[in-house]
Amino acid sequence: MKRFVRMSYLVAAVAGVGFFALSVFVLGVWPGRVLEEETRRMSPEHPLPLTASEQRGRSIYGREGCAYCHTQQIRFLKSDVERFGAPVLAWETRFDYPHLWGTRRIGPDLSREGSIHSADWHYSHLYSPRSVVPDSVMPSYPLFFQGGPDRPTQEARDLLAYLESLGRARELAGPEGEARMRTVSHRMEEMDLTSPVLNANPARSRRQGEYPRLSLGNDPARGEILYRRHCAGCHGQRGEGDGPGAYGLLPRPANLAEHEYSQDRLSFVLWNGVSGTAMPAWRDLPVQDLASLAGFVRQFYAPRSEPELPGQILELGAKVYAGHCAQCHGDEGAGDGSAVRELRMVPASFAGARPSFAVSLRAIRSGVEGTPMAPWTGKLSEAELSAAAYFVRGFYRQ
Amino acid sequence: MDRPERMSDSNTGSPRGTPAQTDTVETGLVYAHGLAAILMLFASLVFGITVSIEMVWPNALDGSPWHSWGRLRYDHTQGIMLGWLANGFFAFLYHSVPILTGRRVTSVRLGQWLFGLWNCVVVIPGWVLVLAGFSQPLEWAEFPLVIDAFVVLALLMAAVQFLPPFFSRGLEDLYVSSWYVIGGLVFTLLAYPMGNFVPELVPGARGAAFSGLWIHDAVGLFVTPLALAIIYFVIPAATRRPIYSHFLSMLGFWLLFFLYPLNGTHHYVFSVIPMEAQKGAIAASALLGVDVIIVVANLLLSLRGTGWFARDVPLRFVSTATVFYLIVSIQGSLQAQMSINRAVHFSDWVIGHSHLAMLGFATFAAAGGITHAWQRIPRARYNPRALEWAYWLLLGGVVVMVADLTMAGIVEARLWQSSAPWLDSVLAARPYWLVRTLSAIPITAGFIALLLGLTTGKRGAGMDAVRETVGAQPIQEIAPRLAVPELS
Repeated sequence: MKRFVRMSYLVAAVAGVGFFALSVFVLGVWPGRVLEEETRRMSPEHPLPLTASEQRGRSIYGREGCAYCHTQQIRFLKSDVERFGAPVLAWETRFDYPHLWGTRRIGPDLSREGSIHSADWHYSHLYSPRSVVPDSVMPSYPLFFQGGPDRPTQEARDLLAYLESLGRARELAGPEGEARMRTVSHRMEEMDLTSPVLNANPARSRRQGEYPRLSLGNDPARGEILYRRHCAGCHGQRGEGDGPGAYGLLPRPANLAEHEYSQDRLSFVLWNGVSGTAMPAWRDLPVQDLASLAGFVRQFYAPRSEPELPGQILELGAKVYAGHCAQCHGDEGAGDGSAVRELRMVPASFAGARPSFAVSLRAIRSGVEGTPMAPWTGKLSEAELSAAAYFVRGFYRQ
Repeated sequence: MDRPERMSDSNTGSPRGTPAQTDTVETGLVYAHGLAAILMLFASLVFGITVSIEMVWPNALDGSPWHSWGRLRYDHTQGIMLGWLANGFFAFLYHSVPILTGRRVTSVRLGQWLFGLWNCVVVIPGWVLVLAGFSQPLEWAEFPLVIDAFVVLALLMAAVQFLPPFFSRGLEDLYVSSWYVIGGLVFTLLAYPMGNFVPELVPGARGAAFSGLWIHDAVGLFVTPLALAIIYFVIPAATRRPIYSHFLSMLGFWLLFFLYPLNGTHHYVFSVIPMEAQKGAIAASALLGVDVIIVVANLLLSLRGTGWFARDVPLRFVSTATVFYLIVSIQGSLQAQMSINRAVHFSDWVIGHSHLAMLGFATFAAAGGITHAWQRIPRARYNPRALEWAYWLLLGGVVVMVADLTMAGIVEARLWQSSAPWLDSVLAARPYWLVRTLSAIPITAGFIALLLGLTTGKRGAGMDAVRETVGAQPIQEIAPRLAVPELS
């Protein structure tokens, strides 16, 4: 009997180690094999690994615990897909040593962050998150900068490089890559999650796209709350483009007090953002809220009487504009000239936003830092500069 | 073996070996690890409170790397697991292993080395290295690899220190606490390298599968078995009655070691990890709830007659830990289910769950184990009033914190399911985060009271407290009560 008991404990002990081995096999080794096979079949033939800088940025991301608030794992779930985009596939993580999936999501998921925000936004946000997102609870990382968001250290550049790489592999796979993935994986169909867009982040700006025409809301109180929460960080309390976040941004945030915006322009910008700048899109806000916000933004501009100029100056302005400006800003001043496709951001649309004469003149004289708009002082005479600055104000369509 | 064991006094003769004597317990090492546990607990507490404050007031501290959120967050959980709980477990093992086996631990010298290695080479340098920027971004594995190597070495030393007494005694006589001690030490030694090293070698989703295993094994194969060993030890020792059923004890033990490791993938439900593995882990999670009901029923039945709140504070700590264990495990079984997981995963609900496990279940068990051992150190100071305070303050703090975080999780989950902007969920959570920070007040006070309970008061007052609450109980009487009767 004693021997039997002793035997049974021996068997039990072996079984105990067996249990552990079993768990490692069925939940570690076997899924690993399946994922490896899936990676082999779904991955593009030559996926781009991280550069040395991106790899360093990844270490910083890991070191600072970013993954403990930002997941990098869009689940196969409607709520995740609608908010962030296509679910993360195994092959997308094939260079991640170790993985950074995370299990807590205080800030948004970053799997598809790469194409959402501009570099100047990222630097400002890392340096002082609340300067650009007033309600953010993210820790600030001034240690990556030498005193200001415009003075990033190598670490900040590396981290930015890594952030910009997030989701890149999948974007580079292109439509043919997506088609191939679909033939290999049944999981997306299984879960009815054939995501229409790879990147569903509502903050992602785009150059063109459908947008709802906002009827300028008549709830200024709501508009003011939203403005303080979402906009004042950069555009400032009085809309003068001088919020705490403005310091690190190039181009500077729009001066809302010096531009008269059309309803259409505000609708477009709030819905689609301003591509190539730090201005994100706000598609996650309810349309009514956007309307209230647009209404509130419009009241920053106080109508003022600008000097009437004689007709021949307008003619001069038209001549200068046709000769130097129309290639980018378009014949009708709608920011749709023939060169637009070559530019990294869309030129100002005078039809949608009428600048005050002072702002217009300053832009044409000194250029607009952070944009392709060059200074024209020296190339044009004072008279020509003034004439053109005045002329563009005429494009405005209410 | 399948009958509930009701050991009568005639049946308590230790089958072999001499009854444990007070002088086989290395009280110096109990004392050292017990105090180290509580001191490291305070450090971990400061890390935790600081990160919670930074979530409510993000500008509270300057952006210096030495108190940046992520690094403190790493140190918080590593400190709780390796600084507080592990030291507490070691203190308890030095007390219980000689009593369970009737034999001394392997070597006092080895014990001193283990103490030094664990605290001065693993935990403190681990904390400093994390703050200095050397870490790995893996949950429950944040200390850098070089520290991990020393952890494995220390775990080996712990196995050499504590396991031989069990084997020299003969396995058939083992009480269930002994099984949990053996299981906990052996399986942690297996699981730790898997969780800490494999994800560095296996990329992305494949590595995450192993991470998921370790996240659960850290709790299931290290913390839970040793906490249960304490509970199973303290209940009969303090009530002076045997455990309700040895059969249920063993059933619970084997089911635990079968099911716990199979839970891991439930941390990544709806991920790209094969659905079969996810579903298997979810099924195992549900079964684990059943197992915990068996274990807890056995423990609560063993407590019959002690009333709702035992007068003996260590006993009260472990019986409360038992109730927390039931709640947290049922909660875990439920939140692993897809319908609940889809909503609450990633939210503060999970943070509430992990605090219920580590601060509720494991901390209460460890506090019970340490105070129980303390009562029996003849020269140790013991302050029953302070421990009374410690119990109630900690209980209040944990309940407030867990209820608060659970509600926060539900609010976040609802907003995430809606089309509300992301930031709305952050704004909605902030009042709850403030309450969570405030819950640190009773918790901190409770831990201070715990420290005072063990460092102030009369020397030898512990045994007086035992006599007052459960009657005189010389230590050598304890061992037979824990022993399993002859199995013939």
